[in-house]
This record gives sequence, C-alpha cells and structure tokens, in this order.
Amino acid sequence: MHTVLIIDDSDINLTLIKALVLKLGECNPVLFDNPLKALDWCREHVPDLVIVDYMMPDMDGLKFIAAFRGLHGRDEVPILMVTANDQKDVRYDALLGGANDFLTKPIDRVEFGARARNMLSLRSGQKFLADRAQHLAALVDERTSEIREREKELIFRISRAAEFRDPETGAHIQRMAYYSLAIAKGLGLDEAARRLILEAAPMHDVGKIGIPDYILLKPGKLTPEEFEVMKGHSRIGYELLKESRSEILKAGAQIAISHHEKYDGSGYPRGLKGNDIPLFGRIVAVADVFDALTSERPYKKAWPLEEARHFLEEGRGKHFDPLCVEALLAEWEDVLDIRQRFADEEMPLL
Amino acid sequence: MNMAGAFVLDKAAILDRLGGDEEIYTMMVDMYLQDIDHNCATLAAAATSGDAYSLQREVHTIKGLLATFSDDEGAAVAYQVEQKIKLGNLQGMESDIPGLDARLREVAGVLASHR
Repeated sequence: MHTVLIIDDSDINLTLIKALVLKLGECNPVLFDNPLKALDWCREHVPDLVIVDYMMPDMDGLKFIAAFRGLHGRDEVPILMVTANDQKDVRYDALLGGANDFLTKPIDRVEFGARARNMLSLRSGQKFLADRAQHLAALVDERTSEIREREKELIFRISRAAEFRDPETGAHIQRMAYYSLAIAKGLGLDEAARRLILEAAPMHDVGKIGIPDYILLKPGKLTPEEFEVMKGHSRIGYELLKESRSEILKAGAQIAISHHEKYDGSGYPRGLKGNDIPLFGRIVAVADVFDALTSERPYKKAWPLEEARHFLEEGRGKHFDPLCVEALLAEWEDVLDIRQRFADEEMPLL
Repeated sequence: MNMAGAFVLDKAAILDRLGGDEEIYTMMVDMYLQDIDHNCATLAAAATSGDAYSLQREVHTIKGLLATFSDDEGAAVAYQVEQKIKLGNLQGMESDIPGLDARLREVAGVLASHR
C-alpha cells in the first residue's frame, strides 16, 4: 500500500486528486489543505508520493518542497507539483527545487494516472533497493559478528595455550582482561577502545610459548641469564602478532611488547618512560601485576587486597602510570566483582 | 476587464479529462455548489483586505475552479486579472472582482440545472 500525501488549499482539488489516487489502487491518500500542517505530519511519516499545489496560503508549493526535502530521509520521495498551464516559470523552479514532475491544472485523469504511476514505480524501486541494502547490511553484520566471535575464541585459546605452560591459570587471563577493562572505563576511554582492550589483553603473555620449559617452569628463582631469556617473551609475543591485519591482534602485539615497561623507564624490553609507553601497555601493566599479587601461586600465597592496593599506590609514577592506578581504584566495586566472577577454578570464555 | 460570454457546460470535455468517470464528476459538481458561497466570500474578503498577494492567490484559485469545469473563457479572464495583480496593477479591480464573483455563480447555476 502506497501512502500518497496530497496538499492543496482547494477542497475541490483535494477531493478530485483523492478520487484519482484511489482509482490507482493500492494507495492510501492523506489530505491536507494547509502545507504547514502537512509538513508537521511529514516529520513523523514518510509518504511514498507527494502531490502538492503551487499557490497556497502560509507556504507555497516551492517552499513546501524545500522544507520537505530538508527533512531527514525525505530527499528521495517523489514529488508531483500541481501547476496551471501558464506557470512555466514555476514549473522550472519546482523541478530545480526538488520536484520530480508536475501535473497540469485542470487535472487530466490520463496524465495524472501516468505520472502518478511512474512516481510510485520509482518509489517502489527505491524501497526495494533500500530493503535489499538493509538485508545485505544485516547479513554482513551477522557474518562479521561470527568472524569476530571466532577470532575472540581463537585468541582466548591461543592465550590459554601459552598459559598452560605457565603456573598461571585461565582465570588469570579473564581477571586481568576485565581489570584492564575496568581501568579503561575509569580512564573514560570510549566503548570501542574498552572492547578492544578486553579482547586483546589476554594475549599479553602469548610470547611465553617461545620460552624453554626449563626456564618457564623452573620452580626456583631464575638466574640473571635465565631472567634475560624470560624477558624475551615480550618481543616473541610482539613478533607473533605484529603483522596481523586484525585490530585485536595488533592491539595484542602492542600490549605484549609494552606491558613490562615501567612508568619511570626501568622496565623492559625497551625501557620506555611515561606516556611513551603505549596506553594499553600501561593499563595492562597495572591489571597484570594486581592480579598476580592477589592470586595464589604454587610458590606464593595471595596478597590481601589492601596490601595489593597499597603496592599499586606505592608504585604510582614509578612502576605504574598514576592515572591507571587511580582508574582501577576508582572502579573498586568492579574489581571485587571480577574477583568473584573469575575465581581460579572457572574458565569461561570472554 | 471584459467578462467572457455566457458559460456553456461542456460535460463531455470535463468527463474526457476525468477518464469518463461520472462518479468523480458528480462529486466535483456537488463540492463546487457546496463551496460557492464560501469561495465568493473569500474572494471578496481578499479584495477588501488590501493584501495584493492574497487577492492574487484567490483569483488564481478561481481560475483553477473555472478551468476544472472547462470554462475556458472564464478561466482566461481570471488569468488576466491574476496577471494584473501580479504586476501590481490594481486598476479596475472594483469591477473585475465582482465580475469573477458573478462568473462563479453563473457556472454554479448552470451546473445545478444540469444535475
């Protein structure tokens, strides 16, 4: 059913055009004798065809067309301007001003039928294309979402593969990712950045996959030489991920190489200082250390929360970016909730 | 401004434009007769308002009404009056406007007598 908007200050013309529109079939005429009221209606409704008279009180047809075209989403709706035979200049102005065609007064049914049908056919074509475009966009969204979900799962499983060779647990990956998210939220990062860090943070230690077992799984303290090898996991993780076209993997590469940097420049592998350390690296540094401190390991007990909090506060401006520490502390309720949701025995997907 | 000759109803010409649809024709005649007093009153009000644009618009409407009923001569006179107003020439309006009023009523009379 097509909605046909008819605007004419003459009742007889409104009635005539309405009757002719009904004769077209599959049409629902909507009548206005006042262009301003018609314009108000158009703010809430999108007609399939507009038939508008030229000479009307309050607002002439040309001004109506300009105002109508100015409304969002009304730029393609076909418009027929009704003019008298002697108004050639008005017709030109109407066509230039956004009318698609015109009708001559007195209205002739054959001419009216042909022009109105052409316009409605144009409208049907527009709607078909718009529906198709919408359908395709929905399909692309669906497929993109599937690919993204697969990507997330692969990232999680790759990260788990690395963590399996490590005394740390799958729940550690989850907690530190959500702590990173809490910090991003506290820093006021936008939604896209928050989602990116949540998805990329689990890859922070993926480079451990390249560290020999005798070092990675050594129960005792590492020698300085062994520690140097261990530090290599930052670069290995970066090398693994850096050339990916995926935004998540690229962010993962950045996190891998920068999450052991320290704010005062004493970290590794590049000894970057302050804001030269990528933001995601500064965030993950806080999240990773906080979770490591507050988690139990075969070689240590979990620190009480207050002590871990104190450690972070003490490390502000030295080990950690002060703003990232403040952000985590500002989201303390979230921190407690994350600890509860991702206890060590649980390993749900992100 | 000279008024046109007597209005002669050419129902065949009107019906031809309406695709032979008697139903629409009858509806239009009914509406014309129903609105005649209102249209004449609106024209008179515009003439006395001193607002040239309103007057031009009302004359334009009357031109359309007369043309709808195939009163080509009456519509031509209305067109001349409309053009005069458009050019700012209001001379002779005291007879032009009553002339249009009379034409509207004449057409109404003929239409009513052929119902």
